[in-house]
Amino acid sequence: MRRLAVGIGAAALSLLLLALAGAAFGHSPRVLLEILVSGSIGSRFALEGTLLKSVPLLLTGLAVVIAFRAGVWNIGGEGQFIVGALAAYLTSRFGTTAALLAAAVAGALWASIASLLRVWRNAPEVLTTILLNFIAIHLLGYCVNGPLQEASGQYPQSDPVPQAAALPLLGGSSLHAGIVVALLVTLASWWLLYRTREGLRLRATGFNPSAAQYAGVDVNAQIARAMALSGAVAGLAGAIELLGVTHRLFERVAAGYGYAGIAVALLAQLHPIATIAAAAFFGALATGAGELQRSASISSSVATFGQAVVILVLILFGSMRAFAPGRDE
Amino acid sequence: MMLTLAHISKTFGATRAIDDVSLDLDRGQVTGIVGENGAGKTTLMRIIAGEIAPDTGNVQLDGRAALVHQHFMLVSNFTVAENLALVDATDPSRLFRTHRTLERRAEAIIGRSGIDLRGVARRVDELSVGERSKLELIKAIASDPDILILDEPTSVLTPNESSELFRVIQRLAAAGTAVLFISHKLREVLEVAPRIVVMRAGRIVADTTSQGMSAEDLATAMVGEHQAIASIVGVQNDENRATAERRSPSAERRIHPLRCEHISGERLDDVTFDVPSGQVVAILGVAGNGQVELASMLRGLEAPRSGAVLLDGKPATRRQLLGSGAVGHIPEDRTRDGIVAQMSIAENIALTSRTPLRHARGFAQRLIELYSIRAQNASQPAGLLSGGNQQKVVLARELDRRPAVIVAAEPTRGLDIAATRFVHEQLRLAAAAGSGILLMTSDLDEAFALASVMYVIYRGHLSDPLTPRDAAMQVGPLMAGVA
Ligand SMILES: Nc1ncnc2c1ncn2[C@@H]1O[C@H](COP(=O)(O)OP(=O)(O)OP(=O)(O)O)[C@@H](O)[C@H]1O
Ligand SMILES: [Mg+2]
Repeated sequence: MRRLAVGIGAAALSLLLLALAGAAFGHSPRVLLEILVSGSIGSRFALEGTLLKSVPLLLTGLAVVIAFRAGVWNIGGEGQFIVGALAAYLTSRFGTTAALLAAAVAGALWASIASLLRVWRNAPEVLTTILLNFIAIHLLGYCVNGPLQEASGQYPQSDPVPQAAALPLLGGSSLHAGIVVALLVTLASWWLLYRTREGLRLRATGFNPSAAQYAGVDVNAQIARAMALSGAVAGLAGAIELLGVTHRLFERVAAGYGYAGIAVALLAQLHPIATIAAAAFFGALATGAGELQRSASISSSVATFGQAVVILVLILFGSMRAFAPGRDE
Repeated sequence: MMLTLAHISKTFGATRAIDDVSLDLDRGQVTGIVGENGAGKTTLMRIIAGEIAPDTGNVQLDGRAALVHQHFMLVSNFTVAENLALVDATDPSRLFRTHRTLERRAEAIIGRSGIDLRGVARRVDELSVGERSKLELIKAIASDPDILILDEPTSVLTPNESSELFRVIQRLAAAGTAVLFISHKLREVLEVAPRIVVMRAGRIVADTTSQGMSAEDLATAMVGEHQAIASIVGVQNDENRATAERRSPSAERRIHPLRCEHISGERLDDVTFDVPSGQVVAILGVAGNGQVELASMLRGLEAPRSGAVLLDGKPATRRQLLGSGAVGHIPEDRTRDGIVAQMSIAENIALTSRTPLRHARGFAQRLIELYSIRAQNASQPAGLLSGGNQQKVVLARELDRRPAVIVAAEPTRGLDIAATRFVHEQLRLAAAAGSGILLMTSDLDEAFALASVMYVIYRGHLSDPLTPRDAAMQVGPLMAGVA
């Protein structure tokens, strides 16, 4: 209950701070908030935009939740998202399912490089996953400027994926079936973390690795599995974004979703179900910020500003000690 | 009066930890506090030290209190000197100290405390538990308190170290410090404290001088008349059964579930021993003689430099030791290696049990009753239990599932008398059911109560196996390394 209050408080406070910051630059805070709200949930169009942005955020957020629960900082969501999108693109001619699976595997493998580096060289994931992001970004850059560039050779982007591989749209809207996949993955993550022995051991590893060892958990293997799973979920996010929204690869296809996942996970206080709400909040913020840019000429990077503020507010509430005692189901 | 507690109460959720307690304390007085696990001793001490506030009642303290916790509160990747620098009140500037200065100051602080601790440049995680607890004590004394509160300080000390501690206590008391001393070792309390306060279920049920009291009197006061008789009868049964079991080795007890052959490591030197099924084998020794490394090798966390660990006669892989469930561990350091404080009792137990997770709560509830763990319910975070009750959670978890081998390091440290007796009984039953039990302990009474074979470990070296009869003569000198 307390955690719920903290989450809602942090979200509300960050909106308030955003509005006040706007006031400092001579905008009316009320008008700002109105535009944010109407631009994110005020119309059917806005709402669809919010939901579309929430889907990748939900998955990258979950990826962070899973790894953090095992005590690992997976900052590599961005890179795993990208290799997921790449793998999905390359396998898209075999159909949607194949592309989604390939993306999950690619994300898992990419994240596992960090695990290997830790086992071999004791390199901390918090560093290696970031570095792997840069490699993934440049790999993608090379692909869309080279081997995967569109046939016309005009822009640094790929050709669209085959129509058959694209995710089906839901009943006359711009929403795609990826939203269902993302929700299913969320439920599955919750079930895994709180209803299976694997999840129990994963969380024990995150809380107290040495006690976990004495209870018979192979901590290194446990962390490696959590990283792989986390990478798989982030990779899936990349595939869903590609097959549902962009249909093409281009350099900014990940659009910071990987990093935003960290803010999502923290706002959700590492709870998989709460991640849905946190992703929706940041999805709305990003969509509303787009509207701010259009109608008030305020840079849409206020959305990033909002993410930063949420993290700072959470630190203020002291709940970054996400592993503090307390029931967490 | 330097300390007056008036009608103090404190509840945590549904637990009434302290229930209308009043207490006065004079300068220079040494007072023993005894009571069962979960009686409220630690909570009361934390209230006196100002760590937590009572719900109702009044604390009047004339001076400063220093509390030495039941669990270590040291910065483990700091050196001894650095840990002491953190509390060094006499250091005027605290800025820009070289290691050398820190170490000199640390040595001075240690000298003043009258406690023997050498090697201030060592990191805390290299210290033995005994040394760590001395460091805690030195830290507390360094702050020059008016009341010194010691929460189970002797549970990790050797008899010699304990006597050293008692001398320090007497000296401080003579200089006017009031000392509060918690322990489950009643004889020791009687020896050091002229006044004894007995707690039961959050209340003070007796407040007497130790003159003319016996350990039995105290034990009775702790649990109440009714239960005391039952538990004394229990002891006799225990002893009969233990001897009976030791004399009837059945055929299947020829199996050797655990054996170590010539294992060496950082601290271990050519260690060979054998744990037959159905028996308790004790490795007796003062903390810091290689037991920690041995336990970690038996868990599969470290590989021996040479030699082999055998399960059922075959060299065991890391995976078999760690993940197969064949070996159950009761680790020495329960807060670090035993429980996951943030997870519930049920989840802690489910970590090693084979019960389906759906039934984890009900299963844990059963163990809570069986082991009389004082908890609100199975969903309570294990970290909120009293020290002894945390230990019981680990014990219940590992003993109940009856693994082929149980490695128990100081299994009854911090447990009250009834719980200790109960755990001994459970270890015997586990042996009777065919488990091989390796008991690592520094407690002679415990080794003699349980083991049919004993080894003494000293500086990583194991003695020849001793029968209890031989051991009676030889362990003392062997443990001190003079034999
Ligand atoms: N922070 C807390 N939250 C909830 N319950 C608590 C907390 N601290 C103590 N308790 C409960 O209060 C009771 C008294 O605990 P306390 O630690 O004072 O016992 P104790 O006498 O020191 O026992 P032990 O001999 O095992 O150390 C226990 O039932 C314990 O579970
Ligand atoms: Mg206590």
